Amino acid sequence: MRSPRTPLAWLNLTYERRRLLTALAGVCFAVLLMFMFRGFENALYDSQVQLLKLLNGDAVMVNRLKSNMFVPEQFARNRLYQAQAFEGVEAAYAFYTTTGNWKNPETKRVRPLRILAFNPSDPVLPLPGILANRETLRLPWTALVDVKSRPEVGPTRAGVVTELAEQQVELVGTYSLGTDFASANGNIVMSDQNFLRYFANLGPEEDSRTLNTVDIGLLVFDPEADPDDIVAQLQSQIPNDVQIFTKAAFVERELDYWRNNTNIGFVFSLLTSMSFVVGIILVYQILYTNVADHQAEYATLKAMGYSNQYLLKVVLQQALILGVLGFLPGYFISLVLYRMTADATGLLMQMTLGRGVNILLATVLMCLISGAIAVREVQATDPADVFG
Amino acid sequence: MRTSLALLNLLHERTRLLVAIAGVAFAVILMFMNLGFLGALSQTAAQFYTRFNADLFLISPQALEITSAKAFPRERLYQVAGVEGVQRVMPLYINYLQWRNPETSESRAIFAFGINPDDPAFALPELESAAGKAALRQPNVVFFDRLSRPEYGPQDIGTVTEADRRKITIVGQYELGGGFSADGTVIMSDQNFRRLFDPFPLSQISLGLIQLSDNTNPEVARNAVASLLPADVEVFTQAGIIARDRDYWINTTSTGFIFGMGVAVSLVVGVVIVYQILYTDISSHLKQYATLKAMGYRSRFLVSTVLQEALILAILGYIPGLIVAVLLYQITLAATSGTLPVSMTLTRMGFVLILTVLMCGVSGLVSVNKVIQTDPAEVF
Repeated sequence: MRSPRTPLAWLNLTYERRRLLTALAGVCFAVLLMFMFRGFENALYDSQVQLLKLLNGDAVMVNRLKSNMFVPEQFARNRLYQAQAFEGVEAAYAFYTTTGNWKNPETKRVRPLRILAFNPSDPVLPLPGILANRETLRLPWTALVDVKSRPEVGPTRAGVVTELAEQQVELVGTYSLGTDFASANGNIVMSDQNFLRYFANLGPEEDSRTLNTVDIGLLVFDPEADPDDIVAQLQSQIPNDVQIFTKAAFVERELDYWRNNTNIGFVFSLLTSMSFVVGIILVYQILYTNVADHQAEYATLKAMGYSNQYLLKVVLQQALILGVLGFLPGYFISLVLYRMTADATGLLMQMTLGRGVNILLATVLMCLISGAIAVREVQATDPADVFG
Repeated sequence: MRTSLALLNLLHERTRLLVAIAGVAFAVILMFMNLGFLGALSQTAAQFYTRFNADLFLISPQALEITSAKAFPRERLYQVAGVEGVQRVMPLYINYLQWRNPETSESRAIFAFGINPDDPAFALPELESAAGKAALRQPNVVFFDRLSRPEYGPQDIGTVTEADRRKITIVGQYELGGGFSADGTVIMSDQNFRRLFDPFPLSQISLGLIQLSDNTNPEVARNAVASLLPADVEVFTQAGIIARDRDYWINTTSTGFIFGMGVAVSLVVGVVIVYQILYTDISSHLKQYATLKAMGYRSRFLVSTVLQEALILAILGYIPGLIVAVLLYQITLAATSGTLPVSMTLTRMGFVLILTVLMCGVSGLVSVNKVIQTDPAEVF
């Protein structure tokens, strides 16, 4: 095997600048397509667990029946006190959630919002806007509103006075969280005492709430201790009407529910895999054209004694160069589109290093598959084609 | 034109043509899938309402869509029962119920309808028979939707399980489908609804169903009914309430945006694919095009040739795309156990065909520039 002295793949590609640009645009669009569908899928999953990830706690305690955040089952607050007595458990916080009707002060239209309530002394949800307003939250009939709520909620700023669950409420501050399926319109944060004021005495058609039943219990562990050990110990000692998970396991369980038990997972994995196939076709087209154009040259190389393997290498190199060069603009355009989508819809479009690398690998794989198909043309080249 | 230059140009290299067709076909499939999912969404929004035996609907103005319907006083229904043309009024109770899968013991929210067994609220044959009504009237029983997701466990008649801490027996089945907002549905008598959702009173209803006599114009009746009622309820015709729910799903949730974007991106990718083909084709036939020009053919002829090629590609790619999309719809239907009702409609077929032709046309126009600029001297 001769070592190639001239970068044939590179020269082949750059021989015609305009065609190279078109080819890169093609790869770039395939990359874009994958990024977009993947991005939507991730946005839907990410938004489901963003609240859970922000909650302060090493472990989470929930009712055994609460298989996902949509199940409105609570457990007795005593279980939290029991857990607090265990060695390694430093603190246990109660977190209450429910849905309350919010009146948009401008349009007077009513929208259901998710209510998040806890004792303001407990660092349950350590977001800057919430920490800054811990004292004002204690005032009766007050709440904080999420600035990322949907526009249907109305103005999101301190000082707004409107109605929540048909009672007056004053906004004393804002914080930034975002929406998900369970809180389609937005989130309201309030103190546990105010939670009682609004939701303890509802009409017969609504479930009244007390502070004795908790939606989510948060456990903070001694940093020295192994969380898995404590969780295992708690689970074996505390009555099994509650389930205890490390936070990571709880987040994973929630994601699992959305991935496997809803149609969303299926819809987007189908679209993502199809965009991969479209990418293969696009790149194949580009490489095939390139190979077909240089048929005579490839035939000459063969006539000179170069092996099929060498030609395969050249085409695969071209595929790889196209993949990497096309990925970069695709990546940057996706970043812009992610931002635009996030602004237009409030979806949580996040680009992480892992996801970028994932798509890069998919792109390279896509190009290599296309290259492997396109190269069959070269390998079938008859040295006699040199006269073609 | 005696020779079909466009067709011959394309047929000249078979492999390239096949790849081109595959490219267009995939862009077509992607568009069909995105539109299919969007269509399924708006169809499921309509699904419940088309299965009710009602011409007019009363709903609280606070409801976003049917599953978030807020209760309003049952008196509203009685207030309009005497309006001319109103034949029957029926209350409907709805709520989410935690249904335990008897095999895995996992609970999952299921959408529950409560009806008076004597009211023909649903156009479902199983509920209309005397035996069905008698079965529904027993305490602590439900009819179970065959189109519910498999996670709810066995659906057979006689299955006993637990729902909201109460023992429940399945005594019948029907086919309705829950759409996007519900993974499954059950129907029960109003008395059982009262038992399960205690203390929810039957005097508060979620949806009011109004049947009109045959020769009544629904729009006229709607206006008559609306003028009688206070602002705590809204009155809709069937088409009106379907449009209301559809608007919520498509515009208020981000779903419309996501799939709309999906169609747009697929369209752009399609343009790029077709452009690649046409551009390559033109580059490799540049000499011939120059010859044609030198022979006196005008640019317009060359443009029309390229556009014809684009059109041929569009149609040849559209046909396999359509066939594969129909297959994928079937697969989707099977994979989601019928809960995502994607189906091909004539309008969608027409719409995607138009988009495909536009897509290829745009690519044709972009790539044709090169031909127009062809210098007859390039023949050498």
